[in-house]
Amino acid sequence: MTIGLEQYIFVSSLLFAIGFGGVLLRKNTLAIYMCLELMLNAANLALVAFSRYHGAMGGNLFVFFIITVAAAEVAVGLAIIVALFRKKQTVVVGELNALKN
Amino acid sequence: MPVDTLQQIAETNSWGSIYPELILGILALALLALEVVLPKFAHGLIPRIAIIGQLVLLGYILFVDPTGCCSGEAFGGMLLLSPAGQAFRVFFLASSIFVSYLGMVSLANKQLPRIEFFHITLVITGALMLLAQANHFVMLFVALETATVGFYVLVSYFRNNVLSLEAGLKYLIMGALSSSILLFGIVLLYGAASNPALAGSSVDSLNFANLKVFLQANPTDVMALMGMLLVISGVAFKIGAFPFQIWIPDVYQGAPVPTTAFLSIASKAAGFAMLISLVNVFEPLTDWLTPLLVGIAALTILFGNFGALTQRNVKRLIGLSGVSHAGFLLIGVVASMSVEWALTAILFYLFAYLLASAAVFGVMVHMPKEDEAELSLDDFADLSKKNGFLGLALAIGIGSLAGIPPLAGFIGKLLIFVAAFEAELYGLLAVAVIGVVVSIYYYFGWLKYAFFEIWKFNDDEEDREEPVPGASLGLFGKLTLLLAIIGTALLGFYQSPLGNWLAGS
Repeated sequence: MTIGLEQYIFVSSLLFAIGFGGVLLRKNTLAIYMCLELMLNAANLALVAFSRYHGAMGGNLFVFFIITVAAAEVAVGLAIIVALFRKKQTVVVGELNALKN
Repeated sequence: MPVDTLQQIAETNSWGSIYPELILGILALALLALEVVLPKFAHGLIPRIAIIGQLVLLGYILFVDPTGCCSGEAFGGMLLLSPAGQAFRVFFLASSIFVSYLGMVSLANKQLPRIEFFHITLVITGALMLLAQANHFVMLFVALETATVGFYVLVSYFRNNVLSLEAGLKYLIMGALSSSILLFGIVLLYGAASNPALAGSSVDSLNFANLKVFLQANPTDVMALMGMLLVISGVAFKIGAFPFQIWIPDVYQGAPVPTTAFLSIASKAAGFAMLISLVNVFEPLTDWLTPLLVGIAALTILFGNFGALTQRNVKRLIGLSGVSHAGFLLIGVVASMSVEWALTAILFYLFAYLLASAAVFGVMVHMPKEDEAELSLDDFADLSKKNGFLGLALAIGIGSLAGIPPLAGFIGKLLIFVAAFEAELYGLLAVAVIGVVVSIYYYFGWLKYAFFEIWKFNDDEEDREEPVPGASLGLFGKLTLLLAIIGTALLGFYQSPLGNWLAGS
């Protein structure tokens, strides 16, 4: 079997769905965060595959920007998670419920 | 790529045309440098420098260059310079000045780093300006993320306050989730539009103009439709439209007041700037897009207004009422697909919303409250007796948000409704009228606390010295509130200067 564009897009969609489901279902903030990264990487994979098979370089270029943005997001996000952990000693979503009417 | 092509692209790099963004970036870096250079006792000057720098820039744009120096594409099609973009620049700059002022008041007696707040505010403003003029998905995504990552920091800025951090975490997860959805939508659009087997495909299909050509040639492409759906969902997250508004109450409540103001004014407007240019790109898909947006708008108005009815926490109330304002603006966006001047109506509504929010948040930041996330309607009891000026500002601001004639908010709503009427969106109009009626109930409930005696249980606390609201109100604070009041009242009577500038510029 030769691997074509469809297979890449299938894997990418699968990664995106797993990430999306994980964000909605997981309880641990760090696991949710990993799922978010998974969704970004699913987009990266699809971009590179499209770019390669369609002969359009824009997608390859976009990937570099996405990687940079993801790195910035992780830097800020982990800082917030660590600061919150120092205060509350927990990163489980169910226990972070101080905000309410 | 041959050298000629590169040179051609380089020639479109008209750095002069993005001077507001450049100046904001330089000013932001200068603030950090000043913190290192200036002696400790002079650090109080730095926020003032930030505000004065922005005021000068705003004055320059308004009086020397009101219509924008250039128009058309720049930077190889990355940006599309337009009069509407210039209007959005003024909008973001004005809201950023106001947020800087709120930050100055709010951070005055806190043991927190100060300068970074103004630095990040300036960077976000520059990014939002670029976002409003983006003409390419790479530009759109990078500008959007620059602003969003900045907002993560601002929301959790009170880092020794659990509520602020919790709000920061929730915003982080929701923001990143919506960015990922938006991004995957962009990828699908790119994949569809770069397919050489299809008509109208192009090598640079991330460019809005090229994408529109493709969509015109293939208006029923399934992958492109999926992409459109995901992109609109991502944008709906940013503007807090139904069903993606879940994060709004929590994040607004936990965030510091200046950040809440920034989120509800600038971030929402940026979402609409994005939506306006995207609706233009997706025009060939109108058959799917219009029902989608109509549904979102109707549900957003209903949810925002009915959700706000039961809120007693002021920031949650403002957040949910902001959701309903997003719904009204969405009506304008739907109308703009068939009525050309609806864009002017949206811009006018945004400016009226800016002034009204400035009055309300300007009052909120001066309320004496240990933990501002707990600020509730009870804290506004007898405000008009304790400080008449704050009471007046609150009344004008809320009146304008509720759309009471003859204030600016009324004209804004009227323009949107007339545009919707011309676009024959009668169903949406009916929903909007219900929304307006419901909103008057909770807005005036708030005013009731501020202006009329509320019977309270007397528990020997009468002797306790209560802090007076507005003790921190300096000359600058009075001027800011006065400007918001006068602007709101004046725009209710004389719309032509602003209207002409928004329409004709």
